[in-house]
Amino acid sequence: MGSSLRSFIKDVRGAKTLADERATITKQSAKIRTKLRDDHLPHDKRRLNIQKLLYLYILGEKTHFGQVESINLIASDDFVDKRLGYLAATLLLDGSEDLLTLLTNMLNNDLHHPNKYAVSLALTSLGFLSSPELARDLYPDVENIIKNSKDPFLLKKALQCAAKLIFKDTSLLEIFNIEDITEILCNHSICTHGVLLGVTKILQSILAIGLNREKNDDEGDIDYKNDILSPLSLLLRDFLTRLENLNSKNIEPGYDVQGICDPFLQCEMLYTLKLYFQVGELMDSNSVLDYKDNFCDLLTRIATNTDCTKNSGQAILYETVKTIFSLNLNQPLRVLGVNILAKFLAGKDNNTKYVSLNTLLKVVPQEPTAVQRHRKFISHCLQDSDISIRMRALELSFAILDDSNLVEIINELMKFLAEQDEESKDSVVYTIDHLIDTFDTYVVKDENWKLDVFLNVLKLVGPFINYEKINDILIIINNTAQLSDKSDFLQKLLTISLDGKSAEISDDNIGWQLVLIWCIGEYGGLISSGNTKSNTEVVNESSITDYLLNLQECYTTTNHKIINYILTTSLKLSVKFHDPKNIEKLRQLILHYADSTDLLLQMKSNQYEIFFNQPISTRKIILETMPKFEKITEKQNNVKNISKNLISSGPADLLSDLLNDDSKTDIKPPKSGNVKPLDLLEEIFGEKKNTNDPPKSKENEGSVNLPLPVSADSDVILPPDVPKIHDSTSLNVYASLLSADSGSAHIELFFQAKSPVFDLQIFCAVPRAQKLTMGQLYPSSTIKANQICKQSLKISGSGKMKLRIKLDFHLSGSSSAINEQFDHKFEKTL
Amino acid sequence: MTQLKYLILVSRQGKIRLKKWYTAMSASEKAKIAKDLTPTILARKPKMCNIIEYSDHKVVYKRYASLFFIVGVTPDIDNELLTLEIIHRFVETMDTYFGNVCELDIIFNFNKVYDILNEMIMCDGSIAESSRKEVLHHVTVMDTMESNDNLERVLS
Repeated sequence: MGSSLRSFIKDVRGAKTLADERATITKQSAKIRTKLRDDHLPHDKRRLNIQKLLYLYILGEKTHFGQVESINLIASDDFVDKRLGYLAATLLLDGSEDLLTLLTNMLNNDLHHPNKYAVSLALTSLGFLSSPELARDLYPDVENIIKNSKDPFLLKKALQCAAKLIFKDTSLLEIFNIEDITEILCNHSICTHGVLLGVTKILQSILAIGLNREKNDDEGDIDYKNDILSPLSLLLRDFLTRLENLNSKNIEPGYDVQGICDPFLQCEMLYTLKLYFQVGELMDSNSVLDYKDNFCDLLTRIATNTDCTKNSGQAILYETVKTIFSLNLNQPLRVLGVNILAKFLAGKDNNTKYVSLNTLLKVVPQEPTAVQRHRKFISHCLQDSDISIRMRALELSFAILDDSNLVEIINELMKFLAEQDEESKDSVVYTIDHLIDTFDTYVVKDENWKLDVFLNVLKLVGPFINYEKINDILIIINNTAQLSDKSDFLQKLLTISLDGKSAEISDDNIGWQLVLIWCIGEYGGLISSGNTKSNTEVVNESSITDYLLNLQECYTTTNHKIINYILTTSLKLSVKFHDPKNIEKLRQLILHYADSTDLLLQMKSNQYEIFFNQPISTRKIILETMPKFEKITEKQNNVKNISKNLISSGPADLLSDLLNDDSKTDIKPPKSGNVKPLDLLEEIFGEKKNTNDPPKSKENEGSVNLPLPVSADSDVILPPDVPKIHDSTSLNVYASLLSADSGSAHIELFFQAKSPVFDLQIFCAVPRAQKLTMGQLYPSSTIKANQICKQSLKISGSGKMKLRIKLDFHLSGSSSAINEQFDHKFEKTL
Repeated sequence: MTQLKYLILVSRQGKIRLKKWYTAMSASEKAKIAKDLTPTILARKPKMCNIIEYSDHKVVYKRYASLFFIVGVTPDIDNELLTLEIIHRFVETMDTYFGNVCELDIIFNFNKVYDILNEMIMCDGSIAESSRKEVLHHVTVMDTMESNDNLERVLS
């Protein structure tokens, strides 16, 4: 094994097996460790070993043993050591480590170093590694560079660094001097693009603090609006002109990207201006809002003048659109924004399509009609070869769907479904889900067409539809008003299944089969009685009976669900068919399972057999056509609950809420109406009431795992005089000690959300001598603003009562989890 | 605005060639990201879009020859199209520095690559310099200073 870095890398790369590679790495790692421990190691050897260590870092190996060594390297007088030392420190150290304190002094020295590159290294590293302590200690040194340096190279780095430091320790705002920035902007000789980038960064940092400050209602020592925002707004005009110049500039070789002048700077400036107006609006500051019209004009010019054929131009346009919608600017601008996005969709580049669809999805609520106008392009994306584009186009299609375009969009979705395969199952499931919702929400006059849609759905993607959705489809079929539509539907199903020798319908299309079997049971009578314009040669009692028998044979061991459906259908047909031969066949079919090893089938078979022997008049009552299902939708339920919350108060409501919650767990109970036949059945069989109608039994099973967001709309009430133990930006926490005696205590925690909180998870810890039992979070882990949820804790053991509580949750609009932790001591001792 | 979370360079064989983290994350989180993303991105077809959603953020990637440049970006803040430009600018700059850069240049000179990168992107993944010339100028000046150091040592 050689000793240079190059040969080390070669050895690792040359290893023939993983084990070889491992051995080489372990050996080198041990060697580096020993070498670095040697205090008398010459500088060049030390550097070599740190370089090797960095290679180990890239490989994902442990490198902690080199951390102190890399810091020591920074202290060297040689630039070559310093450069490597800083590089190693920024890679190997984490912002949280105590080692950072070791760094403070060195950074401090280097920030005043005569060599500007040493200063620059220190600034870069401080930017990467800054902790609040480092920020406080070293900000004056950075500020010093901003004030005094005339070197754009140092200036840009100092500005970037200061932006980060101010963000780390917001109290630095008090000493930040805006005039420094004004001076830099006035001095043309130092105002390079790099420096301007730095200026935008520092402004972004300060403005972001303003945005957060107001949200947190933080009582800082500074009057943000008057002391910070007003002087800051003096820069606005300058910024607007600069951006305008930059955007209209033709070619500046060093900064040109595909004919666009410095898209990086343009985007940063746009973002900064956006923050300006967000803060201005939040604080109602006229000094900012006075410029709003100018800004709108500028955005219009950028939107019209920027070349939209190249990615660099598209990046600027995209930033412009984001700005328009996040500030919710005037309608013409919003329409312009939507049109830009539509242009993206029309292009060939998948990345622009992706961002366009994503953004359109977000802006549909703001500008629905403008988005609808571009339906053609959206539908076109449904055919894209990239699944992520297709999926977004699909979401967007449903988002813009309304009465006016329902038929067109659904027809396009049918085309889309026709092209899906096993791999894109997710998008199929999504489509079916939303299709069903759509038909629940919108009234479709042409119900015949609606059923045709489902016929197509089943034909195309029947194998991928899960049972729950099949039930929803059955409900929709059942609830169709015209009997003739339903029998037409069955007629079409049967014709395809019987006539085409099932060529179109594969054996694994369980969805199709289930719907067909159910429909035969329900509407088979209509067909056989010749009420319809049926092709009696193909579809008649005998052929249907044979078909059922065939199916039964085909699935007898593979799919008991289908067999269950077949049994019930056979029973139903017993009162609808006329030919005794066929009825007898059906009876035999049922009997066939009398000794089935599947308990459910066996039971069903036996029960149906008894049933078969009842006089036909009794059977007819029980086997009447299904009544209309009333599907209680989530929406109605929620509305009811919300309005209820507004008026309800007092402990009595807790109970009703509890009940209310219960009824919510089975959201779609198809129980109404079929009470009568059910009762009868129950009299006959006593138990097993679910088996007689398949959709119902399935519905009940299905409701258990319906993926409904159970929101916290029950209201837990905060008892009076409960002490607050924690107050953060998003939550208040109260604790009430219900009882505490001889070794056990009962505590209730109340969490009050200031803004909606999602997925709240509570972790509690107690001292070692105690044991903690946590109850369930009531009513749910999602809390609306100002609502409360409750968590009960039981502690047993002895000693002082101390709690450490950790909270994990999400806020609306942000996908990253928030953690909060705090301790609380109770006065009582167990 | 640019607020990159990380930059990872991965070879077509799935080997990590360079990595730089701009946000504080635990070692296990970092390992998980690298482990999850590599196969996902390697498996993507050339015509697919270069933006994917991963965990709580988005990932923008771009393939140059045998190397994948993978960048984690902050949702709603970063501009994905601009991120692609940043990657491109980085590649261009390396290309000029090394003279027709290839994967091997990056493997053997990773510290130079870091030097270039650190001139371009600072702090929490924000772009600090948009000019390629400017970046290269300062990197080369620093290189000369290093060799001068060495020279002095030999002479003394």
